[in-house]
Amino acid sequence: MTKKLNRRRFLKYAAAGSAVATAGALFPGISFGDWQNLSNNSGLISWQKAPCRFCGTGCGVLVGVSDGRAVAVKGDPNCSVNKGLCCMKGYHSVQMLYGKDRITTAQVRKNGKMVEVPIQEALDLVAEKLQETKEKHGKDSVAIYGSGQWTIPDGYVASKLFKGCLGTNNVEANARLCMASAVTGFMTSFGIDEPMGCYEDMDHANVFITWGNNMAEMHPVLFSRILANRKRRTNVTVIDFATRSTRTSQAADKSIIFNPQSDLAVANAICYEIIKHNWVDWNFVNEHVSFYKGKTNIGYGTEDHFAFKDKAEPIGFEEYKLFLEDYTPEKVEKISGVPAKDIKYMAALYGDPDLKVTSFWCMGMNQHTRGTWINNLVYNIHLLVGKISTPGNSPFSLTGQPSACGTVREVGTLTHKLPHGVVMNEHHRKMAAEIWDVPVKNIDPKPTYHTVEMFRALDRGDIKFIWIQVTNPMVTMPNLRRYRDGALKDDRFVVVSDVYPTPTTDVADVILPSALWVEQEGMFGNSERRTQHFAQIVDPPGEAMSDTWQIIEVAKRLGFEKQFPWTEDNYIGKIWEEYRKFHAGPKHEMASYEVLKKRSGVQWPFVNGKETRWRFNPKYDPACSNGKDFDFYGKKDHRAWIWARPYEPAAESPDNEYNFWLNTGRVIEHWHTGSLTRRIPVLHNAVPASYVEINPEDATELGVVNGEMVKIISRRGEVTMPAQIRGRGVPPRGMVFVPFFDESYLINEVTLDAFCPISKQPDYKKCAVRLEKA
Amino acid sequence: MPIFSYLALPIDGAREMLCTDLAKLPHCEIIPSDNREVVVLVTDTPDDDTENKLQKSLNNLQSLQSLSLTFGYDDKEK
Amino acid sequence: MKQSEKRGWKVTAVATLCLFNVLFFTGSDAFSASVDLKDFDHQGKKIYDTYDETPQLYMSADSGDRNLAVYYQRRQYPGSPPPIPHEVDLTFSGNETDCLSCHERGGYSQEFGKFIPVTPHPEKTLCYQCHAQVTTTEKFVETNWKSIAPPRLGRSFLGSSPPPIPHALQMRENCISCHTGPGAVVEIRVDHSARGNCRQCHVPAPQTTLMQEFVRKP
Repeated sequence: MTKKLNRRRFLKYAAAGSAVATAGALFPGISFGDWQNLSNNSGLISWQKAPCRFCGTGCGVLVGVSDGRAVAVKGDPNCSVNKGLCCMKGYHSVQMLYGKDRITTAQVRKNGKMVEVPIQEALDLVAEKLQETKEKHGKDSVAIYGSGQWTIPDGYVASKLFKGCLGTNNVEANARLCMASAVTGFMTSFGIDEPMGCYEDMDHANVFITWGNNMAEMHPVLFSRILANRKRRTNVTVIDFATRSTRTSQAADKSIIFNPQSDLAVANAICYEIIKHNWVDWNFVNEHVSFYKGKTNIGYGTEDHFAFKDKAEPIGFEEYKLFLEDYTPEKVEKISGVPAKDIKYMAALYGDPDLKVTSFWCMGMNQHTRGTWINNLVYNIHLLVGKISTPGNSPFSLTGQPSACGTVREVGTLTHKLPHGVVMNEHHRKMAAEIWDVPVKNIDPKPTYHTVEMFRALDRGDIKFIWIQVTNPMVTMPNLRRYRDGALKDDRFVVVSDVYPTPTTDVADVILPSALWVEQEGMFGNSERRTQHFAQIVDPPGEAMSDTWQIIEVAKRLGFEKQFPWTEDNYIGKIWEEYRKFHAGPKHEMASYEVLKKRSGVQWPFVNGKETRWRFNPKYDPACSNGKDFDFYGKKDHRAWIWARPYEPAAESPDNEYNFWLNTGRVIEHWHTGSLTRRIPVLHNAVPASYVEINPEDATELGVVNGEMVKIISRRGEVTMPAQIRGRGVPPRGMVFVPFFDESYLINEVTLDAFCPISKQPDYKKCAVRLEKA
Repeated sequence: MPIFSYLALPIDGAREMLCTDLAKLPHCEIIPSDNREVVVLVTDTPDDDTENKLQKSLNNLQSLQSLSLTFGYDDKEK
Repeated sequence: MKQSEKRGWKVTAVATLCLFNVLFFTGSDAFSASVDLKDFDHQGKKIYDTYDETPQLYMSADSGDRNLAVYYQRRQYPGSPPPIPHEVDLTFSGNETDCLSCHERGGYSQEFGKFIPVTPHPEKTLCYQCHAQVTTTEKFVETNWKSIAPPRLGRSFLGSSPPPIPHALQMRENCISCHTGPGAVVEIRVDHSARGNCRQCHVPAPQTTLMQEFVRKP
């Protein structure tokens, strides 16, 4: 009987479908709101390649287009990153284009109210305000703040306009909040940015160690590749080394939990063990490694105008060995809470000459007040045992945004950077001035504000005009309240280019409607040095315009037609070919526009038609020139540097009054501040709101059960949100964890704006809070 | 046990009224169009008697201008 | 002209099939960047292997609870990973045996009183990577999302010829899992599962490119 009833339901569905199809044929353009499918459409789809819009993995997707709309997604089988598999965000990504509240027209604040205006009028106003502010308050009173979701052309024209034409180094991007420590880690250890390895390392490694990295949720496509390898090859072990128990811990062969900040001590203890047991690869170390130490007790940057400059001092191996005496596993057990035997176990895995080891990390190590140091320390381990730059041996820094590498790190949309090199270097300035066709004196040799200091300057009034594109700082800035109040001050002018209303558009004086993802042409660059082109596949809604073209429109209004001569039908290709000149040469050669259009991503250095999978290894990397097994050509001495970096405590640790650690992060369903993923029904239905994870015993003590409201209070602010106990993640006693995607619970009003003095990247993983039952 | 679907056209300007009228009838489900004066009607009746009664009620609707069949099903074998 | 056409419906099923056949064409210039399907058919051996491993009894069992309408309602577009329609443990811990203990082989579930649908890709074990939980049905904001209609049934090229395979085979290379057994959706369950070589008769024809007629080179 059941079968019969269901069959009837199906027949009714077919009956309705038939009627809708008939109506579609009789009345072209007819639409049935209650009917989820396109009428008059038998399912003919054309598929076009694009990189996924979300995390830094850079999966290739095929976007299915029908009737001018994106209607479906498949994994791109031709893309080596994901080989046809996506995660739930990728599979449903096309739905983010169609939220009902898309911003489709420009808005301007008039007498305190936002009024819709034609976009050309809004762009006039932006140019006028920018010019006026610059004339009245100087060139460093105007700023642009972008993100790792900027396409490469977006970031390139931003840098060209602000650094080259307007002459201010006030160019920053939210990748400062997510990748800066990875960059300074690479620069201090290797002298050149971005990973030496590639995703293929996963098919060769025997041991995977995730350092504070919940890969199962944050990079699920890569994690399932690890699991597939573990299933297929019997000699694969996964170790999760983290401050809280997550899905990654549950899937790992072993989960090791450490006290926040003590990863510094544990990494040194692993090196101590490696030397003690003489697992050092002496041939490698003697030929390819130098030893250095830097300054210690370097501060936390919580005060305005904080400045710090590190100084590298060469030391010998013996001095390094002596430095490690403070980090015996037994001593470190007391700091870290990690049993000495577990430290020894990890050291033995790194030390075993028969095992290939890949380490993965992302925000856990980067959002760290000693982020540069912990990056250095993990490289130390790989360098001591020579497990680097060969298939399967890889210290691998993952990224969180689709083009944090491509746009922010490679184009250099940071205050001190240029597309090639840094503003402090005269040769680099000359090169930029020549390619950009601007006088070299235009480019200021002095960096201005890094992100946190940029928003402090906005609060102080040193910056009066800021243009924010593709990011949502009014959710993501730590110690948020200060920066929101600053943005709202009377004579600050805030321009926001975005696709949906957010807390950041709430503080805007001008809102510009942006094209999203495949509504424009562009390129991203993923974690493994892969540049990925996408064509415009569907039309942007209303007056929405690509961020690149918005900047070009303003540049033309400011009189820089000569530097921005392109037309709307060819600008992306022309920009790419101009930008590519910065990276000529075997160390960073990029593929041509024509090649990028054809392939599902191309890895640089792309030399003589070949991608470079492992850098610094002459078997794969044509830039190696020293005639040895490896050439770490980033540094002048052609060596990689091991750094003696001590353990120093966090900027704020729990005490009697504020007795819990607060840790923040993400969940698999939502990406960044959720302004896109929350508009995708499946993802919102899975996790509709944020919550605070509490250890079950702490919850009992507090008298809180699952779902009850808890007030989280720090020295900076408070937020009240539902508790989650024994959910997908379980923090240890004395720690709570909050996903930051939900604008209804602004957890960053609670976090601390302390940062790594070298990278200037804030620490979102550690501050002190207390809890109250609400 | 017949199932039918129709395109229902209202008399001028009476789309809302037609929707209300149809929704009131038993065994009827409707999907109104957003942008045209057309309503999809799906009927599902347990037996011929009910079906005939429903046909009569449909005939008497003032708001309905015409009804055209788009799909029919009946599981009685001939 | 009330009730212009009706009566005379003694036949079992009548539909305006001619209107149904209106094909929809997208702009052909879009195909310049589209991906060729040369790897499309590379997983064929899997089908035979699973067929060999599936007991005859299971393939011919007869029961069905879900139907095709439900099947497609759960998906955002034909081929998207469906969310998990039943409750799962709050931790949803990612222990791969949790999902696969039921969905790898199927069978009857006492807990749900239903036959269990079988996954066509049990080799992928990080289930929650693609399949989301459902904890609410409210939307954050309304959406203008629309997708295409699912492939129609019975799309034989000739009156009685075997219908082609209307969907892509990526992640769904295993015919047995969805088209046979009691967990299969009744409308697409085959009545001749004893014949193992599915693609002896059914050719892949996903509607992604225009039908091209064979032209002999001169």
